[in-house]
Amino acid sequence: MQPTLRRSLYVVILLAGLAWILLSADKTNSATAGQIPAPQRGFLAPEFKLETSQGQSIALTDYRGKAVLVNLWATWCPPCRAEMPTIEKVYQEFQNQGLVVLGVNSTIQDDPAAIAPFVKQYDLTFPILLDVNGEASDLYEIRSLPTSFFIGRDGIIKEVVVGGPMSEGLLQAKVEEILK
Amino acid sequence: MNLLSLFQELFAPPRDLILIVLAAWIGLMLSERRTPRRSMNLNTLSNLLLVSLVTFIVGGRLLYAVENLATFIPSPASLFSLNTALFDPWGGLAVAVIIAFAFGRRWNLPLWPSLDAVTPLLATLAIGIALSHLASGSAFGKETNVPWAIYEWGAFRHPTQVYELTASILTLALILFQRATSKPGFQFLLFAALTSASRLVIEGFRGDSTLILGGFRAAQIIAWFILLAALIGLDHQEKLEPKIE
Repeated sequence: MQPTLRRSLYVVILLAGLAWILLSADKTNSATAGQIPAPQRGFLAPEFKLETSQGQSIALTDYRGKAVLVNLWATWCPPCRAEMPTIEKVYQEFQNQGLVVLGVNSTIQDDPAAIAPFVKQYDLTFPILLDVNGEASDLYEIRSLPTSFFIGRDGIIKEVVVGGPMSEGLLQAKVEEILK
Repeated sequence: MNLLSLFQELFAPPRDLILIVLAAWIGLMLSERRTPRRSMNLNTLSNLLLVSLVTFIVGGRLLYAVENLATFIPSPASLFSLNTALFDPWGGLAVAVIIAFAFGRRWNLPLWPSLDAVTPLLATLAIGIALSHLASGSAFGKETNVPWAIYEWGAFRHPTQVYELTASILTLALILFQRATSKPGFQFLLFAALTSASRLVIEGFRGDSTLILGGFRAAQIIAWFILLAALIGLDHQEKLEPKIE
């Protein structure tokens, strides 16, 4: 290809690129999708209402304005067991600053009789919700346990951590982020 | 269950990392097979790639800890975790590139032929990353009503992961179509130009872009500058005589 023709082609490509940048700019910030409920970072956390083993009904909306960690777990899952003491420790440390931890047990795939001894064994003081019908697991499209959702005070999911166990440093870093 | 759902079920995070590791393995084989043995020492190049990989992993983890120093000082053992969320990928990449450049000079590896040699690896990695995005649902598109839209994260969206996958497969095909012994640096610059151009286009359909300066997509601006540099490089390449093997 002739140098002049080649350079003209390159200039056209670059100008077309600039035009596309201008055309596809998102002036209304609509691409951030913050108002749609979906279990993904940047989206509104999907609402759920579940009962604790004591029969108390708890909804995620009850905690709007607070930083919420939703941790989905099961008693048979080794990484879930491994990270529970760390979650409890971080909860104790940050609950006065507005941190709420909701431990959602995936009861649909767990032994309900094993839950109370598990909670006692790890001295868990945060609410444990029972996902008996798998409603929360479906809403949050859970494919691995544990999965943790870090939700900001505005109700937007700031981070999703799939798998575990989460180390204390990671947990604290993420919690400090949602408490800001 | 359709094919996409089955794929997403099979490679849901953190299993999507398998796709990237698999792509890296295939890419390494392609790079080794295509690099002319007379042009450089393949063992030295393999060692450089290994050093880069280790510095990427260690650098990414350490930089994440530095960014959250107050958190990690009381519990330094937290650094030793299998969780991939405790990682700064861009920081790790920056550290790996700097270290690779330094070691490459120290081991007398020629810059442009080395970049050409790793180009098939980079192009294959891009396919792995696109597949990982498709499996995890990240790098998703903005809402649309085009007939080929996919339902994802509560809305019908542009299948940007499929666009990304198609672009990266075409890029690899074009790279493999080139003669491995073309002008030094040509393959790498071609890869850089094609990848930045496709990112520039596809980013415009993304629903998760980082926006700057009143709505401009940061990745598009970065991609445009990379495209500019790659085209200047390619133009310069055209003035050189082809390397005769």
